[in-house]
Amino acid sequence: MKTVLALITKEYKLFLSDRVAMGLTFLIPIFLIAIWGSIFGSADSGPEHLGLAFLNASSAPIGRNIEKVLDTTRTFRLVKSYQDERGNQIPFDTVTIKDYVRKGNASAALVIPPDAYTDTSIGLKLKFYYDPKNEMEMRIIQGVLTQTIMSQLPGAFIEGMQRKAVRFLGLDSGTAFNTGIKSLVSRYFNIDTGKIVFPSLTDTTAASSRESKGGRDFFKNVLDFESEQLVGKNIANPMATRSVGGWAMMFLMFTLTASSVSLFEEKQSGVVLRILASPISRVQILWSKYLYNMSLGFVQLTVLFVFGSILFKIDVLSNLAGLILLLVAASMACTSFGMLLSAVSKTQSQARGLGTFLILAMSSIGGAWFPTSFMPGFIQAFSKLTLVYWSMDGFLQVLWRGAPVVDILPNLGVLVGIAAVITSVSVLQFKKGHVF
Amino acid sequence: MIRINDVTKKFPTVTALQNISLTVADGEFFGLLGPNGAGKSTLMNLLIGYLDPDGGEITVGDDKVTRDNLEARKNIGLVPQSLALYDDISAQENLEIFGSFYHIEKRTLRHRIEERLRAVELYDRRKDRVSTFSGGMKRRLNLIASLLHDPSLLLCDEPTVGVDPQSRNAIFDYLEMLNCAGKTIVYTTHYMEEAERLCTRIAIIDSGTIITEGTLDDLLAKLSYEESISIIKNSSTIGKLELFRQFGTVIDDDDRFELKPNGTFRLSSFFKSVEEQGVSTRFIEMSKPTLEALFLNLTGRSLRD
Repeated sequence: MKTVLALITKEYKLFLSDRVAMGLTFLIPIFLIAIWGSIFGSADSGPEHLGLAFLNASSAPIGRNIEKVLDTTRTFRLVKSYQDERGNQIPFDTVTIKDYVRKGNASAALVIPPDAYTDTSIGLKLKFYYDPKNEMEMRIIQGVLTQTIMSQLPGAFIEGMQRKAVRFLGLDSGTAFNTGIKSLVSRYFNIDTGKIVFPSLTDTTAASSRESKGGRDFFKNVLDFESEQLVGKNIANPMATRSVGGWAMMFLMFTLTASSVSLFEEKQSGVVLRILASPISRVQILWSKYLYNMSLGFVQLTVLFVFGSILFKIDVLSNLAGLILLLVAASMACTSFGMLLSAVSKTQSQARGLGTFLILAMSSIGGAWFPTSFMPGFIQAFSKLTLVYWSMDGFLQVLWRGAPVVDILPNLGVLVGIAAVITSVSVLQFKKGHVF
Repeated sequence: MIRINDVTKKFPTVTALQNISLTVADGEFFGLLGPNGAGKSTLMNLLIGYLDPDGGEITVGDDKVTRDNLEARKNIGLVPQSLALYDDISAQENLEIFGSFYHIEKRTLRHRIEERLRAVELYDRRKDRVSTFSGGMKRRLNLIASLLHDPSLLLCDEPTVGVDPQSRNAIFDYLEMLNCAGKTIVYTTHYMEEAERLCTRIAIIDSGTIITEGTLDDLLAKLSYEESISIIKNSSTIGKLELFRQFGTVIDDDDRFELKPNGTFRLSSFFKSVEEQGVSTRFIEMSKPTLEALFLNLTGRSLRD
């Protein structure tokens, strides 16, 4: 037993000797739990302020009611106008709102058309345009929207029926008819008409909870919810096409981190000293490492995408130039990331620990695991600082949206910029650092 | 010719070298002898341009050695203290990689690799992974990896650490052959036997300063006595420390007392006195003075400390 205790003590001493590595052991799970908790933590939590393009072209009260409810729900942030080239805010029309979604500015749009609800109609017409670039986000949008709209239907329907009765039959007969129709509706559609009340327009949850099952079955027949997928209709494997970028980036970063920290092994074995004893400069070593890792990253990504195209029918050929440029830019950025780890870490285990932490952090807040729109606002701001975000967005543009090269120029620019900044920092750090 | 002129190198917590000045002539086999931590490897790292000195200057031939002067390194080969090899590839592949850094023409490089491998008796194992080699074989490979560009100056930083006697002798023979062929060799070690066997001139370094230098004979002549006396520690000798001190300075080493005779020392009177005190002469050994004794004399410490 004493021997085992001595061995355990030895393990703890070694573990505690590297404070950075020790800190990361706890920091990584805490960080990830915090991220997951902020998204899926409590029962009443959920995505907030998802961008929803909205156009209400109807003059009917129900349109205003729906707009009011959507405006006050925390799930959505209604976008009712777009910015033109001059920077002016222009209200949507039926054409521009679709373009807005097509360009990826919002995942969905809800249009309440002029003829959404008339005194002569018995149902509600709505148009829904969407881009399912992220399935999880789309399901939540559709779910919350359906819930909100359905909560408005009972009151609107009853009100409409009553108005029609009064108009056709006159006030007295109409009132008598309305009383009678209640019992008819109750009898034939199995609805407790006493529970049909005008719901509070600002409390969708309460309204929803008051709905009876029979009510939902009935009212769904009077809702004409015309939906149209605007982007990615012809994609053979939407799931694989959407997720390939995020996973590819995560594995690329792991590969390049491992490759970059090999500098520590070379230093430890004395190979770095042998190399530097020959007519080779430190800068040449760094550049050779950089170019090697970049080419390795590029080949890894290429193999992954080729494999994806064969096995999952991901269309890599339609926009090959854009894809190749993205692969190069992503490899550059990931390579720089690996170099930075080597430059700022004092030991190999520190580099590995820090690498794991940053990779998981960037993958989670960069959108590789779940949509960035699900995250709290301040984390969404951070996500745009990650190379995962810009790479994933670029891959989505190219593979999902079929965007031309010009559309991914911002992504390419940011990735190359990230690579340039991180590489410069790494080189400066290497000059005064521990590896050489 | 190597000129080390008033070189100082400081690290954040220690001054590794303090105002070192040395000259090594072309064709010399120069030894740098000192205990661990004396500053030998730091000096080697300065000589190869891996580090820049904080003060002073080093020139090899006409080239000033600095971190940025790649030209100076073309004629220098470094045998690092550690086994600077890639374990997962073959000996030949290692040599091809290290040779490629010098832009040697392919056929010449292939020829040199074969020749060096044969010279250290590794040719038959050239296609084996280095990880399958013994420590001695790795040391030999480590040595020839530094010679592919045929440098005129070879810096050997304790190249026999952890090597079996057979491989050590093979390395010594090979280095002597290289020296005979005209190469200048700077050899660091904390084994006085190695320095005594190989080096035509030796500098003794301790705590970052050169405490003495010269040929072996010059150095040993600095001792004031011609015989070195060791008294083995046992029950009959341990209590006689004061007696021994009458004849010179006594250094209490691990298993023996080392007696450095003073100027009036007479061997006959020494033996007479110890016998009278009941110490058997069987426990007294006499030998020619060594560099170890010189180091003890100069620093009061053993080279192995």
